[in-house]
Amino acid sequence: MASGDTSRIALLQGTLDLIVLQALRTMGPLHAYALATRLAQAADERLIVNQGTLYPALVRLEQKGWIKGRWSTTEHGREAKFYGLTASGTRALTRETERWRDLAGLVERLLAEGGR
Amino acid sequence: MRAAVRRVAMRLVALVRRDRVDGEAAREIGAHLALIEDDCRRRGMSPAAAARAARLALGGVDQALERHRQARSWPWLEDARHDLRLAGRAAMRAPGATLAAIGTLGVGLGASTAIATLAYAVLLRPLPFGAAPERLVRLVASTPNPVAPDAPLRRVPVALSLEEARDLDAASDAIDGAGLWAPTVLGLSGLDDAGHVGAARVSSTTLSLLEARPLIGRSLDPDDDAGTSGAALLGETAWRRWFGADAAIVGRSIAVHSVLGRRRSQTVQIVGVLPASFTFPAADTGLWLPLPPPAGPEPTRAALLARLAPGTSPAAALDAIGPAVRALRGHGPDVRYELVREQEQLVGPVRPALLVLTATVAVLLLIAAMNVTSLLLARALARAREFSLRAALGASRGRLIRQGLTESLALGIAGGLAGLAVATAGLAAFRRLASPLPRIDLGTTGVGWGATAFPRLDDAGLDGAIVVAALGLALVVGLGTGVAAALRAGRADVGPALRLSGASAAAGGRRGRLLRRGLVVAQVAGALPLLVGAVALGRSLQHLAGTDPGFATTNVLTFQVSLPPAAYPDARLQAFAEALAERLRQRRGVRHAGYANQVPMVALRDTAGGLWTTADARRPFAPDAADARVVSRDYLSALGVGVVAGRGFGPGDGAGQPRVLLVNEALARRQFPGRDPVGLTVYLGRDTTPWSIVGVVADVRQFGLDRAPEPQFFVDVRQWQGGMPLFPTGAYYVVATAGRPERLIPEVRALVHDLDVGAAVFNVATLDAIVASTLTRPRLYAVVIAAFAAVGALLSAIGLYGVLAFLVQERTPEIGVRLALGASRGAVLRLVLGQGVALVAIGLVLGLGAAQALERALTSLLYGVQPGDAATTAAAVALFVAVAAVAVMVPARRATRVDPIAAIRAE
Repeated sequence: MASGDTSRIALLQGTLDLIVLQALRTMGPLHAYALATRLAQAADERLIVNQGTLYPALVRLEQKGWIKGRWSTTEHGREAKFYGLTASGTRALTRETERWRDLAGLVERLLAEGGR
Repeated sequence: MRAAVRRVAMRLVALVRRDRVDGEAAREIGAHLALIEDDCRRRGMSPAAAARAARLALGGVDQALERHRQARSWPWLEDARHDLRLAGRAAMRAPGATLAAIGTLGVGLGASTAIATLAYAVLLRPLPFGAAPERLVRLVASTPNPVAPDAPLRRVPVALSLEEARDLDAASDAIDGAGLWAPTVLGLSGLDDAGHVGAARVSSTTLSLLEARPLIGRSLDPDDDAGTSGAALLGETAWRRWFGADAAIVGRSIAVHSVLGRRRSQTVQIVGVLPASFTFPAADTGLWLPLPPPAGPEPTRAALLARLAPGTSPAAALDAIGPAVRALRGHGPDVRYELVREQEQLVGPVRPALLVLTATVAVLLLIAAMNVTSLLLARALARAREFSLRAALGASRGRLIRQGLTESLALGIAGGLAGLAVATAGLAAFRRLASPLPRIDLGTTGVGWGATAFPRLDDAGLDGAIVVAALGLALVVGLGTGVAAALRAGRADVGPALRLSGASAAAGGRRGRLLRRGLVVAQVAGALPLLVGAVALGRSLQHLAGTDPGFATTNVLTFQVSLPPAAYPDARLQAFAEALAERLRQRRGVRHAGYANQVPMVALRDTAGGLWTTADARRPFAPDAADARVVSRDYLSALGVGVVAGRGFGPGDGAGQPRVLLVNEALARRQFPGRDPVGLTVYLGRDTTPWSIVGVVADVRQFGLDRAPEPQFFVDVRQWQGGMPLFPTGAYYVVATAGRPERLIPEVRALVHDLDVGAAVFNVATLDAIVASTLTRPRLYAVVIAAFAAVGALLSAIGLYGVLAFLVQERTPEIGVRLALGASRGAVLRLVLGQGVALVAIGLVLGLGAAQALERALTSLLYGVQPGDAATTAAAVALFVAVAAVAVMVPARRATRVDPIAAIRAE
């Protein structure tokens, strides 16, 4: 997906994807609600307005083959779809993290120059 | 990259397995909701509060589902699927209207596709002769006809010897290669009577200029040009037909005999097979031989085929080589030369017709498209309630427009597919209509022996590119017709349409009404030129068919007899012919039996060097020399050709008697103006034997009903000893019968068989059939344009009917009120009639201009009909008014039958 697309929406999408992948790597397989709760805690609830907005990211990542959903039951006996990172997802996360850091660093530098 | 590909694939899966994926998403989101609720309840909320909080946190179940849907596939594509399903449902609800629309589009698109296919294959596709076929030209000469100065010039190829052609090529930079060719007909000995094959004598340079590539074996070499090697090339079609496509044909010797010219038998060795696509000099050429070695001191001469140097125009090349040719051939300044491009030579005669067909079919397509637009508009109005309901339920304007466009696109595709079927059938019908009697000797394509009335027809087929183009056109037309209706649908207003009853809602507003009437006027305006064209061509055909050819065509049987050449030297030919004619005369039902070197309408010419008042043993070639006919004593009577002055041939004009001949009126007018030719002494060609003219016979249209009679003279076969071979194509027998001539055919075969077991009867046809065959092309044009005109007029009448029927339906309440208030039924009738007459009148006036333009384009195709003829226009207008009257009267009468009480109550 090295499309070089830097439009605002693509950037935001990519960002959310990256965060989801990272959460799944640290926490192991999660269902959408757990994922939303985890993101809300980590980001002071500033990241997602409502939990439904997670679904496009999940669909996208699963269609790319980076995560895989499996139906299972929660500790309270409820059924839920748990998403786990796949091998190609792990690789993608490494790659995308690097890219993100590069980009963030570059933007930071540019902003710093502009502030001077 | 792999992830992107995978994503596209998954999206496709999601699209195809839409219901399953949707169910799964709903289940997941439902589970998600349950998890939030559980949590909330565990934190002490009431079940109701928990449920509300859960929905709030999720941001709505439907919204989440919609987000899921948008991310997993292409939402517009899913919508299109949905629209298509709706379109299908709408189509099923009004199957009649849908079928009418598909049929109309199918006819319009099909006719257009067929004509476009023809125009492309005939006019645009380069000839299959190597890399630069457009540089190939033929050299022809023409002389104005002093008898009929306005007649089309007769073009004759200019003959040169191989050495002269070579010198011409070497001396001029304008020409890059020169070859010679001469068409002929040969018989393949040992085969049945079908063994006659169109053949060409060619120099090796001709084949290399045309880049002939044999399928097997080799082409002709410069070594073959001497004409003594006996090498010959076979055509693929002849090879398959007579030799079973046997690859061992190369190297095989076959016996051929000349059918034209001096009868000779010759053994040739096949050195190669040329593909069926090699159609020089004519489509039915199946054998190519080197030019024959010179018969006397003069070198062999044949027609010139030249290749222009790159960037040289035919006119410039003619300037460069013309004077040299004139000097070589000793032509006077009245003989005009032309270098005609090979393609022009082939398709020139049909180009005007094809352009007219293209223009008319475009008009037909427009009429069909406007007709379907009207239909879709009417349907959109009828469905106003459906669209209003959907708008009320939250469908966006864009969504409704898209729904309308999807429907019209689907219609376009269905129409396009129907069109492909129509085009296939149309091309097959065109081919059938364009097929004259399949005979080499009835060629209609000018120089060379062509047996089709339309060149390159075999190349015209629906190939991939044309199918794609046709479907593309179908989509454009589908969209074009749908736009107006779709915009209307998009304007669907929630209020009025739902409140009012169907009929009133369907009123469609002023703009809609104007648009529909405008469409009808345009259809009428388009139909008129088509009708004018059809009437003009129909009248022209009628004139042609009604033209007196000058000879009796009914109850005359003609045929030829192929005799084994070895057993029949020239001396025995006449004996055989006379014996056969004598036996025929004794049959019951036979009134006359004669024979001649040619019969009328056979596209062969033999001048015997022309007829002159002075003897000249070194007379130069004259392209406009009179035609020579060698006939039996009974021939002119069998054809019913009368003697105008002097006498006909009598029993005393046998061999050894003073030589006498007859001339026709055209020859008398041209060569002996103001004088009585009877009694004059004349000479034939370079022969110095004197002949005396003893009679003048009536003119006969020898070369076509549309061609003025040409100068001819007749010689009795018993006195014939000139340089001209006897019966070059084998004698044509002419038998006038009392009853149906076809019934005589078995008897003829039996008689011929009795005379010689080895003889075969061929080219059997009645003179009627031969004359009808010459009308193939005008009939083809008249039928095709008449079909277009019929469809165009019918469609515009249907459009007219639609608008008026709509008007009556729309104004039923008003008509009811009028009738209730005492208006007479006549007044109501006049109301609707007036509307119809106004629409037709405006359309006809607008169509007149286009009709005149079309007629001008038709000029070269018309015979005996003046373009812009008031009678033609009047007939076309009358035809249309007759059709339109039905379309107007039906709704008008319905309006008079409105029941005032029912009409008012319905409102």
